[in-house]
Amino acid sequence: MKARPETVDAAALDEAVRLVTEVCERACNGDLEARVPVISGSERAARIRIAINGLLDHVDAFVRESGAASAAAAEGRFHRRFLTQGLDGAYRAAAEQITHSNQVMSRTAAQFADAARARQALADELESAVLTVSEQVATAATEMGRSANGLADFARVAVADAERGLGTVSSLRTSSDEIRHAVDLINQVAAQTRLLALNATIEAARAGSAGRGFGVVANEVKNLANETSASSEEIMSQVNTVQQSAADAIGVLEAVTNRIREMSVLVEGIAQAVDGGHQIEDVGLSQLAEVLRAEVSRFVSTIRAS
Amino acid sequence: MKLIRVRPSGQERTFGADELIVTKTDPRGILTYANDVFLRLSALDEDEAIGQPHNLIRHPDMPRAVFKLLWDTLRQQREIFAYVVNLAADGAHYWVFAHVTPSFDETGRVVGYHSNRRVPSRAAIAAADDLYGVLRAAERRHDRAQDAVAAGHDTLQRVLAERGRTYDELVWDISTGGRR
Repeated sequence: MKARPETVDAAALDEAVRLVTEVCERACNGDLEARVPVISGSERAARIRIAINGLLDHVDAFVRESGAASAAAAEGRFHRRFLTQGLDGAYRAAAEQITHSNQVMSRTAAQFADAARARQALADELESAVLTVSEQVATAATEMGRSANGLADFARVAVADAERGLGTVSSLRTSSDEIRHAVDLINQVAAQTRLLALNATIEAARAGSAGRGFGVVANEVKNLANETSASSEEIMSQVNTVQQSAADAIGVLEAVTNRIREMSVLVEGIAQAVDGGHQIEDVGLSQLAEVLRAEVSRFVSTIRAS
Repeated sequence: MKLIRVRPSGQERTFGADELIVTKTDPRGILTYANDVFLRLSALDEDEAIGQPHNLIRHPDMPRAVFKLLWDTLRQQREIFAYVVNLAADGAHYWVFAHVTPSFDETGRVVGYHSNRRVPSRAAIAAADDLYGVLRAAERRHDRAQDAVAAGHDTLQRVLAERGRTYDELVWDISTGGRR
């Protein structure tokens, strides 16, 4: 059966108004899933339906795009842009604004990433520099330790040499004492000889001309005794000089030995600073370099993790 | 109602840059809404489309792995973009740049899926067609559907690994014509 077209049209339009109102109310409340279903019997009702559904499709598309594009930007997925295609007018203008905001966010994120990269690079450089320095300090410390030990050995040898020198000079003093003793003896002999020569001269004078030759001999003997005495004086003077020199040498050698002993203490101090002492807290230069390296490693790890 | 498989005619159909193809499905992929642009391009009447599964317009050139990726992504309640070639009821085909998102109710439950499709550039179609050719070749070496999907998926992952891009990034690379 067939109804009259205008009656059908009016009924269909009434139905369309009811359906469109219902769908618009749902859309107003944020339900963008609703669409106007098929309305048969009216060309005008069908056109209203397509128009309303088209409006909802565009609002739906805009809402989905703005939510998804913003979420993507927040997650750092800046390659996902707002799809403006298929959206016109105010939709497009708002979409372009969102795109612009996302680009600003993208630049900020890139700057943060650059800063983080720069920090990482700095951490790498610091670590590498400290590693180099601590290796060099360790090498220098080993070298210094070796030198200090060498110096200590040298000082021990020098002290031993100086002590041997002291012994030699002391024995020189003993020898000169013996010389002095011998010269004293010679002086006594010379004095007695002089006395003997004097007696001989007196006896020669008493003998008169017969003793003349004997007097000449006695005079010669006196002269020899005088010469011997003079030579002895000379020797004594030389021996005194030797003894004074030996005393000076002993003083100098003792001073040198003391200086070397003081130097040994200083060298020992250097060796301790380099290698560490006997106490646990007395860490040496090598261990300090290792501690520095470990601390910087820890610092750098923290920076890399942040 | 059982549809007879449509044979592709090779004829290409296209649509306006200012147009949106819109469809909605329930959570199982059954069409609940299709706009006029969809019906026009698919050469379908509304009553032929509504109530049918969305693969009603599936073209045999589409790799299975792409649809698997699409459904896997949607099940994680995430949006997905994909280039898709669809088969109209009259045998013609049309390429779309599809954006598929889950629809939620007020309680956050997924009540269905929504697809907005825009017309892609020729360059994007060419790139997608090349990629799908590679995936199809991998899939056609297998008789069992699940083996084919796995082969297509592996091939896609290899392509992405070679380029050092995620699927998402690759799709956007294509959409911007390599502008980056």
